[in-house]
Amino acid sequence: MDRRTVIVLSLATFLLHAWPMWRWLSTLDQEPVTFAVYSPSAPADNDPPHMAGEFISHDPGLGMVHVGSICEMADGSLVACWYGGTREGARDAVIYLATRASGEAMSWSKPRVIVDRESASRELHRFVKKVGNSVIFADSEDRLWLIYVTITVGGWSGSSLNAKISHDGGTTWTASQRLTLSPFLNVSELVRNNPLPLRGGGFLIPIYHECLGKFPETLWIRTGQGDQRITFRKTRMAGGRSFIQPSVVACGPRVAKAFYRSCSDDRLIGMAATGDTGATWPEPQNLELPNPDSALNALLLSKGRILLAFNDSKQARANLRLAISYDSGANWRRIAEIENTPGQEFSYPYMIRSLDGRIHLVYTWRRKRIKHVVFNENWVNAQTEKASK
Amino acid sequence: MITFAFSFFFPFLLVMVAGQSIVGLFRKNVGGWRTTLGLGFLSALIVVIPLGGLPLARWLISINANFSISLTALVFGKAWENAAGIRLLDRKAFLSSSIFGLAAGLALYPMALGLGRLDPYEFGWSFSWLFVLLMVITVILLFTKNRFGIVLIACILGYDLQLLESPNLWDYLVDPFFALISGVILGCWLIRGARSMRSHGRSECRTPS
Repeated sequence: MDRRTVIVLSLATFLLHAWPMWRWLSTLDQEPVTFAVYSPSAPADNDPPHMAGEFISHDPGLGMVHVGSICEMADGSLVACWYGGTREGARDAVIYLATRASGEAMSWSKPRVIVDRESASRELHRFVKKVGNSVIFADSEDRLWLIYVTITVGGWSGSSLNAKISHDGGTTWTASQRLTLSPFLNVSELVRNNPLPLRGGGFLIPIYHECLGKFPETLWIRTGQGDQRITFRKTRMAGGRSFIQPSVVACGPRVAKAFYRSCSDDRLIGMAATGDTGATWPEPQNLELPNPDSALNALLLSKGRILLAFNDSKQARANLRLAISYDSGANWRRIAEIENTPGQEFSYPYMIRSLDGRIHLVYTWRRKRIKHVVFNENWVNAQTEKASK
Repeated sequence: MITFAFSFFFPFLLVMVAGQSIVGLFRKNVGGWRTTLGLGFLSALIVVIPLGGLPLARWLISINANFSISLTALVFGKAWENAAGIRLLDRKAFLSSSIFGLAAGLALYPMALGLGRLDPYEFGWSFSWLFVLLMVITVILLFTKNRFGIVLIACILGYDLQLLESPNLWDYLVDPFFALISGVILGCWLIRGARSMRSHGRSECRTPS
């Protein structure tokens, strides 16, 4: 290389670095990211306590079903998805979707397959051994998002995340887009709990890693220009082999609490708080609530209360309980038992609050069906009063 | 579209170099425009051959969708050397690439897999000190007339064009295979160096005073 070539190449280096720097500088004058929803209104006094349950998946003959999630569309209809197959991690596992129109008399539609390993392989242009966990949610433009796991090699630690969008309530979907979230062959990224919508568009989605290290992370996702490409990045909530499957609850514009499934011998639910919309998280602290290495789910109620659905045991997933906190998660009061049958499994709760104020809880029922339980906040209040007597 | 098309390039280069190696078993000279054109055509055909519903190249991409630009440049350099007899990366550049690959791999992978709270991968999502460091290293390499600097220019160009599936700069600089190969190359180089020093020491001892 002669002197002139060196100068030309150095100039090219500066120019090529100027483009990402310019893009970064153009984001500096933007408002800080804040959560879109963080203060649900109190229930009306004339709304009587209400609680009801029904099964979403109608096929008890199926080998197993697991990891349900639910969301509400702008018209009040509900959409749920989960995966099922002959066994957990089987190659025949597929992701199902069912819908329920708004209205008391409505029932869940017959589940239909929206992703299987063949369709995922076709859309992603690569080999897919199996599919797994999924989370479904709607954005402010009433588009449905599906984030789901595919595995190419190995078990759950070989998972990668993918995203697809539906503009018609789940009837048709865009092709899946692979999300590169890990530098090590992009493996071991999984999803489980509710995304949090952000003001100005996009979502914070709690995800987790479980290859060598087991730790919680946050995925920041939004659609790019022209609604085509999904843009994303990831930050870490904790390191080591600590906690996974974070469930995050927004308590203020930039304040949120995260509750974690325990991976340690302590077998206690972990908790951490952020004051900068999830950009940084302190080291998680153990709560006094037990956790049998199983998923849990938290939801914000009115007056800043937090509702938690969890397996109230250090050993088994045989019960599913609700607990409530009046002090941002520091202290908890057990208020209701949704399920309790020794030897059975009731797990992976997932809650949302619909526009009419009702709380929808879906969970894995004996690994055979996905159950949907709906109740209102006055039922929670009544259960709280009953528990304190 | 450009990302999908580029995903065939690394598998193509691998098949090309493998083909050149096979030809090398039978002929001393694997270069020449006829052989290169023939092998290039054959390699392109092989990577697009559908197998089990997927082009052969995409099976490799199924394992790792983001072969770094650094590794791609090394394999391209090898294919070019075989075809044209010109070394794009001389010994100094090759050694620099191995040091870079191993250092980047050691800085990235242990922490990305959970060692500690810091995740260096976060610095690759948008402009950060990683970009500044890359620019400084590139300019230093260029001014010391080290051709690995050109490879690093290709990395940032690939990032700007989003040639890989990943939007993270780290994936353009290093991948687990590049880090592993770099470690092996440096290990062999160190062992060879130690041996030559030992034999040099012995010969000095034997020299009569």
